Amino acid sequence: MFEVFTLFLFNIIVYNIPLLYGTTGEIMIEKSGSLNLGVEGTMAIGAVAGYLAGAKTDSLLVACLVSFIASGLVGLLFSFLTVTLQANQNVTGLTITTFGVAFYYFIGNALSNSSAGWPKLSGTRLDAHSQAIHIPVLSDIPFIGKAVFSHGILVYLGVLIAILMWLYFKKTVPGLKLRAIGENPAAADSLGVNVALYKYTHIIIGSGIMGLGGLYMGLNMGGTFEGSNCWINGYGWISIALVIFANWSPAKALLGTLIFGFFNTLRVQNAALAYTFPDTMGWLTNIPSHFFSALPFIITLIVLITTSMSSKNKSGEPQAIGRNYYREDR
Amino acid sequence: MKKYHLVRRADSKIQRTLIYYAIGILVSLSICGILLLILGINPFQYYGKMLTIGLVGNRYGYKSIEGLLKVFVPLLITSLALSLSFKMRFWNIGGEGEFLIGAICASIVAFNSSGLPNFVTVVLMCLAAMLSSGIIGIAIAALKVRFNTNETLMTLMLNYIMLYVIRYIGDTKADWNFFLREDSERPIFGSFPESAVMKGIPLGKFTLLWSVIIAVLLTAIIFVYLKYTKQGFEVSVVGDSSATARYAGMNVGKIILRTMFISSALIGLAAALAVSSAGTISDTITNDVGWTGIIVAWLSKLSIPAVFVTSILISILQYGCQAAATQYPAIDVNFADLLQGIILFSVLVADFAANFRIVKKEEAKNV
Amino acid sequence: MEYAIELKNISKSFGPVAANKNINLSLAKGEILALLGENGSGKTTLMNMLSGIYMPDSGSIFIDGKRVQINSPEDSGKLGIGMVHQHFKLVERFTALENIRIGMRGEGRFLHGNEVRNKIENTASRFGFEIDLDKKVANMAVSEKQTLEILKVLCYGAKIIILDEPTAVLTVQEIDRLFNVLRRMKNEGHSIIIITHKLNEVMEISDRVTVLRHGDYIGTVNTKETNDKELTELMVGRKITLNIDRPVIEKTHPLLEIRDLTVKNDEGAIAVDHINFYIRGGEILGVAGIAGSGQKELCEAIAGLRKIEEGHMIHEGESIVGMSPKKILEHGISMSFIPEDRLGMGLAPSLSITDNMILKSYNDTKGIFVDRKSAREEAQKVIRKLEINTPSADTPVRRLSGGNVQKVLLGREIKSGPNVLITAYPVRGLDINSSYTIYDILNGEKKKGVGILFVGEDLDVMLSLCDKIMVICHGKLQGVVNSDHTTKEEIGLMMTGTLNIVNKEGKTDGIAKDSAFTDEEVKA
Repeated sequence: MFEVFTLFLFNIIVYNIPLLYGTTGEIMIEKSGSLNLGVEGTMAIGAVAGYLAGAKTDSLLVACLVSFIASGLVGLLFSFLTVTLQANQNVTGLTITTFGVAFYYFIGNALSNSSAGWPKLSGTRLDAHSQAIHIPVLSDIPFIGKAVFSHGILVYLGVLIAILMWLYFKKTVPGLKLRAIGENPAAADSLGVNVALYKYTHIIIGSGIMGLGGLYMGLNMGGTFEGSNCWINGYGWISIALVIFANWSPAKALLGTLIFGFFNTLRVQNAALAYTFPDTMGWLTNIPSHFFSALPFIITLIVLITTSMSSKNKSGEPQAIGRNYYREDR
Repeated sequence: MKKYHLVRRADSKIQRTLIYYAIGILVSLSICGILLLILGINPFQYYGKMLTIGLVGNRYGYKSIEGLLKVFVPLLITSLALSLSFKMRFWNIGGEGEFLIGAICASIVAFNSSGLPNFVTVVLMCLAAMLSSGIIGIAIAALKVRFNTNETLMTLMLNYIMLYVIRYIGDTKADWNFFLREDSERPIFGSFPESAVMKGIPLGKFTLLWSVIIAVLLTAIIFVYLKYTKQGFEVSVVGDSSATARYAGMNVGKIILRTMFISSALIGLAAALAVSSAGTISDTITNDVGWTGIIVAWLSKLSIPAVFVTSILISILQYGCQAAATQYPAIDVNFADLLQGIILFSVLVADFAANFRIVKKEEAKNV
Repeated sequence: MEYAIELKNISKSFGPVAANKNINLSLAKGEILALLGENGSGKTTLMNMLSGIYMPDSGSIFIDGKRVQINSPEDSGKLGIGMVHQHFKLVERFTALENIRIGMRGEGRFLHGNEVRNKIENTASRFGFEIDLDKKVANMAVSEKQTLEILKVLCYGAKIIILDEPTAVLTVQEIDRLFNVLRRMKNEGHSIIIITHKLNEVMEISDRVTVLRHGDYIGTVNTKETNDKELTELMVGRKITLNIDRPVIEKTHPLLEIRDLTVKNDEGAIAVDHINFYIRGGEILGVAGIAGSGQKELCEAIAGLRKIEEGHMIHEGESIVGMSPKKILEHGISMSFIPEDRLGMGLAPSLSITDNMILKSYNDTKGIFVDRKSAREEAQKVIRKLEINTPSADTPVRRLSGGNVQKVLLGREIKSGPNVLITAYPVRGLDINSSYTIYDILNGEKKKGVGILFVGEDLDVMLSLCDKIMVICHGKLQGVVNSDHTTKEEIGLMMTGTLNIVNKEGKTDGIAKDSAFTDEEVKA
């Protein structure tokens, strides 16, 4: 009986950590005043690049580095187009998604059809089982240990990134300057903050973080290439929704990941729960799984509308988001 | 201090823009050509195959044209509709969601239409789709006007909510669900009764569907609407400067509501024509036009004739990839998206190069 | 004597317009220098060259006796110059502390600890600021924001502080407090330049006064050795007879009458305060006042673009209060406002001249189509008549030079044949020749019997062009004077609030003898 709960909790974490990567990466970008709708594509590119590098070298570290760099390059492209060339952010971001997902299919198809075939993870040090680390004492706590403290390193890295980013925004001067740019780039500029440099670096780092989330999905969701369904499978879009739900706070993103993850896991496991507890949870089977899939977007839409109705100052939405900053002749 | 400085060119020559665009597209084709070479495919042969959309040496060439047009019509109308709202600087990226709402409502009419004349059914389908999508458009516009809610994010959420609605309909066997085939155990979308299927003008073996004619007419109408009518004039003014529009005595809120209604209703119409032409509905019925339409609108710089041309080119790209895939199994339809993405990036750079020039700082000061 | 700042022969022009011509200015260490001048006299431009926003075309800048180049705000900050801009540069959702912290150099990368806070608090208490460092800017009153801006530059170690019209947004008590702070800063050895056009403040706070006029350096006087009258004369100059016609036309009955009009600005403060005035056909009524005295709100209220709080507006006997902008336009009142960026409010910059011509009238024709054929003809007529320099009537307005842009705007306003024409800053930023064309256009309308309200900046122009001038200060009417029977000094004193002649010699300015208002209406 407890096993069902343990597994449920375990799954909330293991299946939804990519959301945390996508969300924290996007928060970093949006805090600089840029709205990047290319999360899905950025994650896809990071996933493919990192996965292949990892499979080649059998090294998780190499996989992470390559994934971070590949997605960071996508971030560089986004920054160049929107910051330097002042291109429209929505269009650029959407194109990155189209491009990135197509890149995933292109590479995947090419490799699958080649003589070598798509590299497999089984037997390497990268598959989910080998990644799991045993933490003395903590992993042995009954019930919680299995659910929370028996994951791979990437799970903890994601949590660490969220906490570090929260501290970065809250406690450091560069974090403060970054937030100032997202709120009022002209004011930050007048105080000698290099707006373009800050935007570039943070968009690149944010994109790199998304790439790690993509890599995580590549490694932990089977690792086989599917020609009909991209690994990222909409997680990039849920991440964009989660940024709003988390009110642009990395700490709340952690909480939001668990909440969105809860619904996501309920979608997969409602039958198991209903079967184990027919009396108390039998009703779960009556709720269509699509409802749980749509729930993150429905909740976010409601949050979006209600916060805009109430006072603007409570929302964490950067005031200058989506608008390119162009300093007139100086 | 920066020595160099970007200055907007005083004149914008159409030739220069076109040349830069052409260079951008050539560069994109070359980049993808190199990718093809790496895979051991002759890019010239592949591009040749793609651009002729499988017409050459095909006994059923007319089928290719019909297939191409089925890709083209929804893309064209959606791109037109999106251009309309973008012209007003209203970032409606909810094309997918609005399309699905229209498709669902048109299908409700279609599945319950047996016995009705074909013409009446199709018109009813279009009306149902336009009304339902249009109302959603108005709701979004109203929230934007009243509370300044971020329309980009709202419409984005709408897309995914609607995607799960259609998937729910497609996956749920139930008494109420007339969308599905009754004779199948597995949930499969049913076919429309004959009364709801788009007819056309037979030209030999080839059938020119009415939807194509409607789409072409619509292009002309929207061109005229934006360029010559009072309402179109209002759209340009609000898009250019809403403060000026207010000073000129225009009711900016009303204009935004009306334009978003038209924009969304047109996407609904595109959906009705698409389901009627397909004779069924599915969760992939949008064929991503809501997304691709944004790229088309942007590549065309919101000019209606350019939208028409770009829609044809992008349709050829997409349909051509499908056609070529039969011969090159390693390259699937997503190659079109890859190429499309690279083209847009190149064109964004080309556009910039065509409109700005780099001057030395000293010179810039006198501008 | 060593100066904190010396400017020698500084010139700066924007296109054809010379904003500063050979300006000399010196600021002694530990003194308060007032920089005095009318709107558009080049004060802010000059100061922006010290703060690194502009670079001078010619001339040299000395700081502490050393010649320097100021290329950016950063350079300016390093030289110990701090500027408090008229429009605050603050992040609304940050606290005061965070706002100061953004630009603070050399305090490490982390926000933890109380060192920075203590430093700021020490600075604040040294100069007598009362400020809650944890308050968000969004929740601050205007005076608090200004305090924060001043504290900010002090914390960055500025020894030279420039304040651009700091008192414009403050109440009397707040101004007192600000001056106490300035005195304390002076005692601490800081040098201060304060831009203002309020004479009483100049007399109260400054040690010396430098006066600019029309971009020229007029002179510098010791405050102790001067008085209001002399300063006004320096500021406005002796009356220059401009070659502007002022045809005398037979005036009609009052076309537009305004009574007790009260309007709030965007921030919800009273911008127009119980103003009375009227315009007759065939006259030009000037509106003189320091920038931000309620001119914009007044224009918008009459055009129906801004809700009025109180008062009456009647046009040819009919009340226009509560009418839509469109209705008011149809009634024959046309309003054009040239904002500081010169494009934002009257014209759609990407649209052609033709399209801009019909911005207000496109809906007058029947049918669903815009009548571009006659619009183009009209545009061409206006282009010819006003000598607009453009390749064609289809050229986007953005591509035109400033003078031509304004001609397009004015051309449209007079084309509709209004009988009341309200025009604000129609010659803003124009060179002499273009300005004269605009005056001719306005006189042409006047001859047709149109009543014109001319909101202007340049007193010489207004004295030559307008038949009467109403002067406002802080949204209040200071009096209406006849251009032939007044002096620039008198107007200057009224603009600065020193003189009020509304109720002089038993008559009340702004109320017509043959008013269309009935007694009941006035009482109500």
